[in-house]
Amino acid sequence: MIGEALLMSLKVTAVATVAIVVVGLALGLVMARTRFFGKSVVETLIMIPLVLPPTVVGYYLLLLLGSGGPFVEWLSLEVVFTWHAAAFASFVVGLPLMVQASKAAIAGVDPTLENAARTLGSSEPGVFFRVTLPLARRGVLAGSVLGGARALGEFGATLMVAGNIPGRTQTMPLLIYDAVQRRDYVTANLLVLVMTGLAFFSLWAVRRLGDS
Amino acid sequence: MTPRLRLDIEKRYDSFELHMELEVGTEIMVLFGPSGAGKTTTLQAVSGLLSPDAGEIEFDGDVFFRRSRPGDRVDLPARRRGVGYVFQGYALFPHLTALENVAFPLRGHTSRGKPEAEELLESMRIQHLAHRYPREMSGGQQQRVALARALAARPGILLLDEPFSAVDRPMRERLQRDLRRLQAELGLVVLCVTHNLEDAFGVGHRLAVVQDGRVQQVGRVGEVLRRPRDLRSAEVVGVSNVFHALVVEASADGLVLDWDGLRLEAPPQHTEVGERVPVYIRPEDVKVLYPDRRIGESLRANRVEAVVVDLHHSGTVQSLRVELPNGHEVDVRFPGYTYLPLNLSVGGTVELCLRREAVGLLHGPEGVEARSS
Repeated sequence: MIGEALLMSLKVTAVATVAIVVVGLALGLVMARTRFFGKSVVETLIMIPLVLPPTVVGYYLLLLLGSGGPFVEWLSLEVVFTWHAAAFASFVVGLPLMVQASKAAIAGVDPTLENAARTLGSSEPGVFFRVTLPLARRGVLAGSVLGGARALGEFGATLMVAGNIPGRTQTMPLLIYDAVQRRDYVTANLLVLVMTGLAFFSLWAVRRLGDS
Repeated sequence: MTPRLRLDIEKRYDSFELHMELEVGTEIMVLFGPSGAGKTTTLQAVSGLLSPDAGEIEFDGDVFFRRSRPGDRVDLPARRRGVGYVFQGYALFPHLTALENVAFPLRGHTSRGKPEAEELLESMRIQHLAHRYPREMSGGQQQRVALARALAARPGILLLDEPFSAVDRPMRERLQRDLRRLQAELGLVVLCVTHNLEDAFGVGHRLAVVQDGRVQQVGRVGEVLRRPRDLRSAEVVGVSNVFHALVVEASADGLVLDWDGLRLEAPPQHTEVGERVPVYIRPEDVKVLYPDRRIGESLRANRVEAVVVDLHHSGTVQSLRVELPNGHEVDVRFPGYTYLPLNLSVGGTVELCLRREAVGLLHGPEGVEARSS
């Protein structure tokens, strides 16, 4: 049971983190380097999962992914109560951390350096991957670690959209909840220790990235 | 000089309007003027980092930019213009070594990238810096790396924005020599922005005086400095000794001017007797006369005794502000090591000569009534 939950957590977190990094980096770039009408509203919407109760995020996700929502109606994707929904929930709550960190990091890169690359023959993707990203790498890495860690620890929204089905959607945080309900403190203690260790390690890594 | 780069562009800002017209050949053209005059904006427009509102930029028959009528629009992206740009502050990539910086534009052809970059560093005599990061280099070293990087992709045009501002004097002179040599060897069209007169002299073949978003005057460097076309150019190039005088005599031999009671001779210039004209003389052309020394033929005319109002010594240059018998003040500048035995002091008198050949009238549309002094 513990093994299953561990694997499930790894799978969900891996998929969510890849999505967080790709989408968060793109949004961070847009937020740092462009101006458009309604930008502050869009930014606030991206950040809002950070402050909403997880059940509220979960409820919105149910509206989005559940029957009658666009995923089912337009895309015929039935994801509710599968691990895909868990990954999606983790993605949504982890994304704001990545957007915030990469936006700050990219905004800190001198635009003159990007212009220099342009005059030296770089295309726009070339400018991003050879100049902007390498110079923003610390902030981007820190954002990835924080976003990934948040995805790993996701509980409330996941419970709402993916349920708590052992072997199918049950991740470590959900198993801890289960174990405590069953007064299985051996399992709970073990998993709490693992989660604490992972959280400690990721925050420590982020600090190291910021320092050096 | 056959023009290779032609530009005629307009760009409007809230409080500022740029309208630059310029033709540059295989030469170093200095854009000279105060900050905010539109010099850097012009470089950015040529390089493709900024789109003008209207106009045309053409190089060797290739249209970089054109926007004249609606529907007719060319705006080549910066990466396709082949323009080398040395930015103010150099903009070296801080995460790359000198060698990697120089190899940056060569990456499309990896086989020849590294060796070519090494060759370039060698030709600029900085191969020992190859593996240093920008933060480990001095201003002069960074400037060389930036220059090597800008030349690596073999551009036809080289743009330099205040290239000497972060470099000390001996290094500056070396860099200026190198730049002139490179320009000649590679047959480059060079636009160099500066607000420093000495740099303009040190590096430029021709000079464009830029002020308020416009080219006020273009000409050979010495010519523009000696003969500003009008009051605006004179102000920009720092001619402080501008005054108004009445033309008393005008003939093929020369002019006689009356400057509020002071009689001045001047070389023949286009004007008429009775006209009130703006006149200038560069501070370097007001000569201090050494009492014990024979006075040369060229210093016989326009001699006056003046009172020293202010005295300033900076480096190798001695500056004076003196009051002439007619009550006006002029600036005087001369090499600091000469005339030391004169024992100049504020309030003391000094014998001067306003060199006849250097007394010039300022011409141009705004010249005549722009200012009274």
